[in-house]
Amino acid sequence: MQVRLAAEPLTGSGMDALLLRSLQTYVLGTFGSAKWQEVCSLADHPSQMFEPMLHYSPGLADRVGDIVSRVLGRPVEAIWEDVGTYLVTNPDRDGIRRLLRFGGVSFSDFLHSLEELPARAKLALPDLDPPEVLLDEVGPDRFELRCRSHIRGIQRVVMGVVTAMADDYGALCLIDTGADDCITIAVLDSRHATAKAFDLAMPEV
Amino acid sequence: MHADLSRFRLKLDIMTLARFMPMHLLLDADGCALSFGPTLAQVLQGDAKLGARFEDMFEVRAPGGAVTIDDVLARAGNRFRIAPRNGLVSGLRGHGQRLPGDGRILLNMTFIDLIAATRSLALSDSDFAASELVREVLFLAEANASVTSELRGLNLRLEGARVAAVEEAMTDPLTGLRNRRAFDLVLERLCAARANFGLMHLDLDYFKAVNDTLGHAAGDFVLENVGRILRDQLRTEDCAARIGGDEFVMIVAGRSDPRSMMTIANRIIAKIREPMMFEGQVAQVSASIGIVRSLNCKDSNASHMIAAADRALYAAKHAGRGLAILHD
Repeated sequence: MQVRLAAEPLTGSGMDALLLRSLQTYVLGTFGSAKWQEVCSLADHPSQMFEPMLHYSPGLADRVGDIVSRVLGRPVEAIWEDVGTYLVTNPDRDGIRRLLRFGGVSFSDFLHSLEELPARAKLALPDLDPPEVLLDEVGPDRFELRCRSHIRGIQRVVMGVVTAMADDYGALCLIDTGADDCITIAVLDSRHATAKAFDLAMPEV
Repeated sequence: MHADLSRFRLKLDIMTLARFMPMHLLLDADGCALSFGPTLAQVLQGDAKLGARFEDMFEVRAPGGAVTIDDVLARAGNRFRIAPRNGLVSGLRGHGQRLPGDGRILLNMTFIDLIAATRSLALSDSDFAASELVREVLFLAEANASVTSELRGLNLRLEGARVAAVEEAMTDPLTGLRNRRAFDLVLERLCAARANFGLMHLDLDYFKAVNDTLGHAAGDFVLENVGRILRDQLRTEDCAARIGGDEFVMIVAGRSDPRSMMTIANRIIAKIREPMMFEGQVAQVSASIGIVRSLNCKDSNASHMIAAADRALYAAKHAGRGLAILHD
């Protein structure tokens, strides 16, 4: 019997694994298991399950993302952005929102903390290959955010995450794609709405 | 860089001190409280009274044997570990020293268990100095907790897959009975334990005729039916396996008296002889069974038992089929 290993423990990418798992949760949670089965069969991934703690072949997240785009008939950029938003707003996955909120007390604090996030993530997962994140403060309350990664979809995931976090902090922002595909953020009102509750202490399970 | 450090004096008002050191305690030269940082006041609650003595508010854990703040400063240089007597947090770590001039004592502290303290006191950002690594520590604790929980989930899923794979490797896919490998393992184990059990070797009669006249699908149908009959006639602690085309073995665990063995075997044969309907046609087979008992095999050796059961089966076939013969 030939055993095919879907995961690649040594040469694979942990970031691809995290994005694949996020994509799986998003498609399953939003469009249901039939769509996800279709994606997995087109992706030749019979187990229909991506393990966030394993590593997958670099670039697999983008390939599966393209398949999701085909199956759902929506641009792949929009799908990755939705995945980012879903990661923060899905109440079952409050952990990610909380981890991001530790970045700072205000939305601009949070934006600045994004540059430190890859290093922090590596403290928890030393063999992770997180994107390089660069934030430029180009003017008062105006930022440009760039992510460098072998994964194309990352930039859009980050855009979705930032959009959802602005909402979480109660900040009113214009978030858009700028020159050379960077993310431009203009904070119009940092206290536009009440920020969502955030206790430093982890909620008891 | 600094002209003369020993002459340099910094004057701090109490509000600034509170902002930079929300966990400070200022004592007079006799060890009575002059001011509390706001977060320390939350820890001490009702105990945070001006004039309260250090030893009435705290129990000293280290340096060992110290009770008063004088003991602490004398014994440990300037580091200490203390616990508030009200028990709201488990421990505080800090340092302190006498201030030059009037001999007042300034202590600054931090939580030993930051996570428990943020929870039990419902602390927020404003309760900590901006320079403290509170968010970093809590970030790591939560990131670590979620990684651990993902890994636990992964382990459970892998264990589930492993159990399923083992089960599959031990199962005959057509009948759902055990396969040869699983049967060998069970038999070896029982023999090694010198257990009391009966072993039956069953061979279908007229099976080739069903295959030849009604086709292989009918043959498979018969085998599936026999699998069901064996499962029905045996208990869960017994073992039934298909070890060849139309060859089956059964282990009856825990008993081997000749009468029950013969009763079970004859019941199985009677069930198998009942006509089976396959796509409107009758498929009829029968079965011969050879039985041995572990008590009769002196050395309780797996291959000897199989050979003996095989001889009993051969005798049953020879005696006219549709029979069970017990080898004693």
